[in-house]
Amino acid sequence: MTRRRILAVAVLVVPAWLMMPLENSIHSENLQLRYGGAKVTSELRDQIGQGMAIALLAGFRGVVADFLWIQSHDYWAKKEWMRQYSYMKMVTMLQPQSTMFWDIGAWHMAWNIGYAVSVDPQNRTQAEGIKREREWWDRARDYLQQGIENVPNRPDLYFAMGWLYWEKYKDGSKAQEYFHKAVAAKEQPQNLSVRMDGVQRLEARAMEKSGDVKGAYQCWKQMWLQDHQKTEQIWTVVEREVKRLEDELRIPENQRVFPNPRSEPASPP
Amino acid sequence: MNAEQENMTESTQPSGAPAAREGEWVGFSLSRVWAIAETTFTEAVRQKVYNILIVFALIVIASASFFSQFGTEEQLKFMKDFCLGAVSVFGTMIAIIGTALLLPSEVENRTIYTILSKPVRRFEFLLGKYMGSVLLIFVSLLLMSIMFGAALAFKEQRMVSALHQQSSGVPLTEEQKQEVHATVRQIRAEAFDPDLVKAALLILVKLALLAAITLLVSTFSTSMIFNVIVAVMVLIAGHLVGSAREMWGDSAVVRWLLAIVPDLGSFNVADDIVLGNPISWVHVAKVVVYGLGYLACVVAAAHFIFSDREI
Amino acid sequence: MDAIRTERLTKKYALDWRRGKLLALDRLNLRVAEGEVYGLLGPNGSGKSTTLKLILDLVTPTDGAAWIFDIPCRKVASRLHVGFLPENPYFYRYLTGAETLQFYGRLCGLGGAALKKRIDELIELVGLTRARDRRLAGYSKGMLQRIGLAQALIHDPKLLLLDEPTAGVDPIGSKDIRDLILQLKKMGKTVLLSSHLLAQVQDVCDRIGVLNLGKLILEGSVDRLISDQRRLNITVQDLPESGRGKVEEAVRAAGGKLVSVEHPQTTLEALFLEALSKDERGAGEHD
Repeated sequence: MTRRRILAVAVLVVPAWLMMPLENSIHSENLQLRYGGAKVTSELRDQIGQGMAIALLAGFRGVVADFLWIQSHDYWAKKEWMRQYSYMKMVTMLQPQSTMFWDIGAWHMAWNIGYAVSVDPQNRTQAEGIKREREWWDRARDYLQQGIENVPNRPDLYFAMGWLYWEKYKDGSKAQEYFHKAVAAKEQPQNLSVRMDGVQRLEARAMEKSGDVKGAYQCWKQMWLQDHQKTEQIWTVVEREVKRLEDELRIPENQRVFPNPRSEPASPP
Repeated sequence: MNAEQENMTESTQPSGAPAAREGEWVGFSLSRVWAIAETTFTEAVRQKVYNILIVFALIVIASASFFSQFGTEEQLKFMKDFCLGAVSVFGTMIAIIGTALLLPSEVENRTIYTILSKPVRRFEFLLGKYMGSVLLIFVSLLLMSIMFGAALAFKEQRMVSALHQQSSGVPLTEEQKQEVHATVRQIRAEAFDPDLVKAALLILVKLALLAAITLLVSTFSTSMIFNVIVAVMVLIAGHLVGSAREMWGDSAVVRWLLAIVPDLGSFNVADDIVLGNPISWVHVAKVVVYGLGYLACVVAAAHFIFSDREI
Repeated sequence: MDAIRTERLTKKYALDWRRGKLLALDRLNLRVAEGEVYGLLGPNGSGKSTTLKLILDLVTPTDGAAWIFDIPCRKVASRLHVGFLPENPYFYRYLTGAETLQFYGRLCGLGGAALKKRIDELIELVGLTRARDRRLAGYSKGMLQRIGLAQALIHDPKLLLLDEPTAGVDPIGSKDIRDLILQLKKMGKTVLLSSHLLAQVQDVCDRIGVLNLGKLILEGSVDRLISDQRRLNITVQDLPESGRGKVEEAVRAAGGKLVSVEHPQTTLEALFLEALSKDERGAGEHD
């Protein structure tokens, strides 16, 4: 081999070795960031077929997950609920960090499939329909629980769980617990701020519904005391609720936020 | 010819050409590199490489139009995933196929003779060809990104106006208005995610690296098909590095062997960006440095091989 | 100072392991003086192209060395003084004539208004003014040859290497190229050309060298090589038949020997060119 060829090989190998620390650093950051450590098991690979498996290898996880999700939607249209369910589970196995899949999946289960099976003409009795509907609520709840374990820092799934308890199970105290977790979640993306304002209001309402009127009042009061410049909360609603609960709980005048119905309220910060 | 011959015989002295002494040095000239890069780029464009982007445009339009039975969040995710995937695929094709032909066609057509017989260093020629290829990739990515961005903007507009239309017929409570407002906010944020730029940047670096590898192979092989096949094999190997590390990373020998192949998977942040996972600029910078480092080595290796090559 | 000087220039090509090495050029010692037109002749595979490639540093010598105006050929600087027209030149088809010259000019470090002026001069010189803005894909072979000459001259080099400059070109184009070579010589340039077309080489070259299987087997000035010093051609006009016998007698009396008496012939080429120039309609596709 000529000298130049040896040089060529050397320049390909030696600097690559010198860059190993950088490569390791990138790799470990990746493991933390991506896929939540979700490995593609061989069962999953068998289920999704070869074409998709190759796409996975090329790094197109999102695209594969989307394809499977679209297919699951097909099964929804065909009313093949269990098929849809199994596909949705595959999708979240591929992209467990997508709050969207957990969220919408649970919605499909509890709201769409749940309703469909409750009015299914094949039900022998109405009770059977209700029982089947509840099964799907439970599936949705377990699904969301898994989602929360995978994405514990974002508010989306806590809110979804709270909403499930609020609308379906009609369990005010559980709903409130999850709404609170949503508001208290570590990551609060800017684009969700308006929605989170709404979740705060829901939390207070859920508290009141579950019987904790004092807690609800504290909730509304805390909301009112936030910096009015920093959030886009609907202050008219907050004010109305605070005033109503102060009357209902007969809070002493000197402790009220709105001491006298005819006078100015304590000026907000 | 013509009667001007008489005029030409006046000048018996050679004019204009720089007088040379033994010690004269022809330095590295960026303008020569640029001249070669420009012609390389122009050749590819005039050979209608960009027709491939028409197919890309169709994919973008399709991804924006076909999924109206899904919710807004789903539609935006589909669009971003499919379009970024298409950018990657088409970009890879342009990078590998565009570069695989550069040197072989010069040698086969013997245009290389007229170039290297001028006072041009071989490295300037190699670099010029490579830069022409990188320019081609960059402009392609730019065009694709613009199409993608325009489609996202268009889609966002459609979704927001549809939302407003739905809620315009009925009087809304404060809370309902806020809900609409919240949804619009969310759509906007998902459509105009500035982190998409990070994904595009890393795709660019990865493609430049792939082009460099193809260039390296083409310095010792004149068959375009061979060049493409080897480049694709390196592409595949680069993607397998990640999983290979997990499976066999215990053995030091394996780790050192794997280090030689660039980990191409690390350039693929599209999935994470679409999911909204935070990828810091520090991380992006690390990957860019990694990619540029490899790139420089590959180009250097190509230079060592090409400088010796008999034409 | 010689324009070109080679010392023991040798090139071996490695073939596959069974056939060993091919000796393309065997210790060539060549000197081309400044200002002369040198013709390198030889059959296919004799090493002509290899010699040109070695001088241009397109291939590396196995042994020996070459210099252009005393600058080693392995240095890039040597190519400041040489222009090359390869055999069957090929350029970027999508560029126009002027753009092509612009490209090569920039490669030589020229630019701006000076380069533009030079391009205009050269296009005028090689007679491609009408086609300067046409893409090279639409050029005929003769036109490609001429743009090739123009790019070789773009940086006004003192030395020109031409590989088969008239191969495949019709007689008119061929004459034009030969005239151009003579013109360049008048300008003081040195030309090394390699060719198969011996009759054409004879017209332009001062000296020739013949290569065979990598070795220079014959070299010398054209005049001295091809003229037979012992014989004399005397051309007479309007001599009646009766006078012939008297001339023969005179030659024998002076001690010479009459070898042949026949009508002198013009060349087919001259006849062809004359016929075309006399045709009022012009000489066809030549711009």
